[in-house]
Amino acid sequence: MVGSVEPTAPRSDPRNLLRRVSVVILLGAVAGMLSAIMANGFVAAIGWLNDLLLISPRSRMMEERAWLVTLAIVAVPTAGGLVGGVLHRFIPDQRAHSPADLIAAVQTRQGRLPLRTGLLTGLSSLVSLGSGASVGQYGPLVHIGGSVGSGLARLFRAGVTSDNIAIACGVAAAISTVFHAPIAGILFAHEVVLRHFALRAFAPVAVASVLGHVTAQLIWPQPPLFQIAEAEVAHLWEFILFVILGIASAGVAVAYMASLLRMARLAARTRVPAMLRPAVAGLGLGLTALWVPDILGMGSETLRLAFIEGAFTQWELLLVMTLKLLATAWCLGMGFAGGVFSPALVIGSLFGALFGSVVGSLLGLDVSALVVYAVCGMVAVTAPVIGAPLTTVIIVFEMTASYPLTIAALASVALANLVASRYFGRSLFDRQLSERGYDLSGGRSRAILRTHAVAELLSDDYVTVRPDASAKEAREAIVTAGSAEAYLVDTRGFYAGTVHLHELVAAADTEPVQRWCDTEALSMHKDETVWDAMYAMRHFVGEGVAVLDDDGRLVGTVFESDLINAYLELLEEMRKEEHATA
Amino acid sequence: MLRRETALSLLLLGLFTGFPAQAGEEPLRIATWGGAYEKVQREVLFEPFRERTGIAIETVTYNGGTEILARDPVPDLVDMAMSESLAACARGKLQPLERLELPPGSDGTPARQDLIGGARHRCAITHTVYATVIAYDSRAFTGQRPTRVADLFDTETFPGKRALRRTPADNMEWALLASGVPRQELYNLLSTPRGLQLAFRRLDEIRESIIWWESGDEPVRLLESGEAVMASGFNGRFFNASLDADSSIEIIWDGQIQEFQTWVVPTGASRPEAAREFIRFATRTGPLTELAERLAYGPARYSAEAQVRRHPEAGVDMRPHIPTHPYNSANAVAKDIRWYAHTLERIRQRFEHWLEGGKPQ
Repeated sequence: MVGSVEPTAPRSDPRNLLRRVSVVILLGAVAGMLSAIMANGFVAAIGWLNDLLLISPRSRMMEERAWLVTLAIVAVPTAGGLVGGVLHRFIPDQRAHSPADLIAAVQTRQGRLPLRTGLLTGLSSLVSLGSGASVGQYGPLVHIGGSVGSGLARLFRAGVTSDNIAIACGVAAAISTVFHAPIAGILFAHEVVLRHFALRAFAPVAVASVLGHVTAQLIWPQPPLFQIAEAEVAHLWEFILFVILGIASAGVAVAYMASLLRMARLAARTRVPAMLRPAVAGLGLGLTALWVPDILGMGSETLRLAFIEGAFTQWELLLVMTLKLLATAWCLGMGFAGGVFSPALVIGSLFGALFGSVVGSLLGLDVSALVVYAVCGMVAVTAPVIGAPLTTVIIVFEMTASYPLTIAALASVALANLVASRYFGRSLFDRQLSERGYDLSGGRSRAILRTHAVAELLSDDYVTVRPDASAKEAREAIVTAGSAEAYLVDTRGFYAGTVHLHELVAAADTEPVQRWCDTEALSMHKDETVWDAMYAMRHFVGEGVAVLDDDGRLVGTVFESDLINAYLELLEEMRKEEHATA
Repeated sequence: MLRRETALSLLLLGLFTGFPAQAGEEPLRIATWGGAYEKVQREVLFEPFRERTGIAIETVTYNGGTEILARDPVPDLVDMAMSESLAACARGKLQPLERLELPPGSDGTPARQDLIGGARHRCAITHTVYATVIAYDSRAFTGQRPTRVADLFDTETFPGKRALRRTPADNMEWALLASGVPRQELYNLLSTPRGLQLAFRRLDEIRESIIWWESGDEPVRLLESGEAVMASGFNGRFFNASLDADSSIEIIWDGQIQEFQTWVVPTGASRPEAAREFIRFATRTGPLTELAERLAYGPARYSAEAQVRRHPEAGVDMRPHIPTHPYNSANAVAKDIRWYAHTLERIRQRFEHWLEGGKPQ
């Protein structure tokens, strides 16, 4: 069955309510703190590995042996890929998980992120990022945060709804920690993971985000991703440019997401064994980085330089942006574990800087400092990728504390998501999920109904008759069972059709039942999803639909009433999760 | 790493600890920076030390750089910038000082807590925090006055010669600050080929306006003579000049670059024990306070910083003149000496190449 039928309890007494609320809040608090510590530890470990392995510009500059630096650029990502490839063999579906898996778990109310997969994904991402693969760190961090939350929910023996909230708490704290942005953390959890704004979820998520932020400042504080010295919007008419930049950025975002998916498909077709693909990716990346080192790693320095006037020429901006986009698609497609967020920030800021500089020089306009355009581009490319326009704008607000910059970014984002979703989908995650059969575009209820098969609703309350039986025999069998129809099933169990009592009434006793058999009667495969079953049964009149296995043998029947019941239960569960206050 | 001979000689010399040095001995040779700085050191440190221990002090003036350690005879003690101390220590050119016990602060705080963070290193003990700052001649700018690092590179609004120290350090930091790089990200971006190139390009833009100086008293002279309108220099030197009633030198505290000045003992020093005795003497709260009150450098002890009052002769309150005062340090850059210890030589080569007319690479 789809979930169990929970008796709608009478309004619980205040003491009970208080207990339930405090358990969820406590869950959020613990998840927030744990997730923050792990997030900071993760970021610190990446930095440590980057310094040790001569990936960070700082360590490369400080190393006096030039040959060692050159060797490291090629050897380290290759070795990292090799380790990652081996690690993935220990994950049940042989690949690192991403925020898409987390969103699927929450949206389809399957809860429960497996701890083993979470740990291995985190470890593998640490290896990728530590060894300089062109991937992001926020995806893995979100996944780690969610896994922590889910693990705790199991420890607290919470139900699915609380598990979902706990996942959101972990995610919120992770984002809050790494961006130094507690508000953005709360928004991200709601906008991307939960996709609703129930008060019941808001309280624990807010607690987790704030506590995570505080914990992160106390234990192992990490420097912010970027700092901005000062930025002002020089002229009001530039807001028109910001909007245009936003629309153009949507194009870049679509190109980026399409390349990611394309590369993944191409990689699957190559003859290189899956285990070795990341190593090949590392080698290719390293060799390219000998020429353009900016593409290596997460790209924090490249991101920061994109904010600075004169650091790149226009051609360099175009070159580095294109190479970074391709390098990220290459690394992720070939199986390096990692996120898509940080590279999107880099690509977007380079694009924004390019836009600002071209508009400034080509049109001869006196525009604001480059940093304003770089930030707008950064936000407008990233928001469509992760499907979170509000979160990205708030991240800018919390990181820069600059209101003019935030409003400029808002102008760019305003249309970016709309345009990108027109050509690609709500976000990369939703698209990845729809390719795996979870379509969230039709709303959550459809997605959930699609994760359940009719096999879960099977009933054995049906009548069968052999195809060679007489009409009389069939009539008696149906009447004895108090039914109105029977399935024709041969000795080997194969389904041949359905006969209806009202048709048999007119038949002569000795006539073979087969003559009255409706071979076109609706039947379905046992793996058919509940959603598809409901859709198929829209015009169905009768008692139940025959459900068959792969070979066409009858395995049971499914009643319309069971489907309706399953749907109603689901609506009730969702209502409770999304609208209840406690 | 202690070499055996060094260890042995240290041990032997250690036996003489506490014995007052005999007059007529070789003097303790200290390499320091000359000018007003050395004059104050003589008053506050060298003379009182001689009176107390009978050890005479002879000074050698130098302008920084680890080359001083290759001089013959090698000095017994060098007043060295922390970045250079680290580099020299890594090459085994300095004696370890980690065992040297320093007296507690005047308020009884143990030295470990009284010294400012990062003051001690394996081979070096910090005595002051000095700042390299940009100053200008107020006579040259009767209208708008320069207030920010970026103004150093703005030869249109603020025309005139700039006197800068002939070193890539400080100038590269300012070049990036002027380009809008936040101070926290300077060294990470200077580590990228692109960031370094940007710094050189920025300097190249004002190349024609630069007068290079090497000795610490030159910038003051260049400003006073009107040869330069803006100059980089040590904050203490500028302060000292500004005590003069008709001085027109003003300091821009924006982008001040703070560095530690340390005492180090070269490996080949002939009187290492006397040198250690001097370090113990010179890094007490009293002398550090007195130095700060005369030189306007930040003392390396909290107990000393709290005691800084007025300049003994000019009578001005010294607290707003020291680099570590909150008014002055809002946009201060902490020089990344670990980074410099490993990169300065290579960057200096590029710098010299550029100075000789090469393109900014």
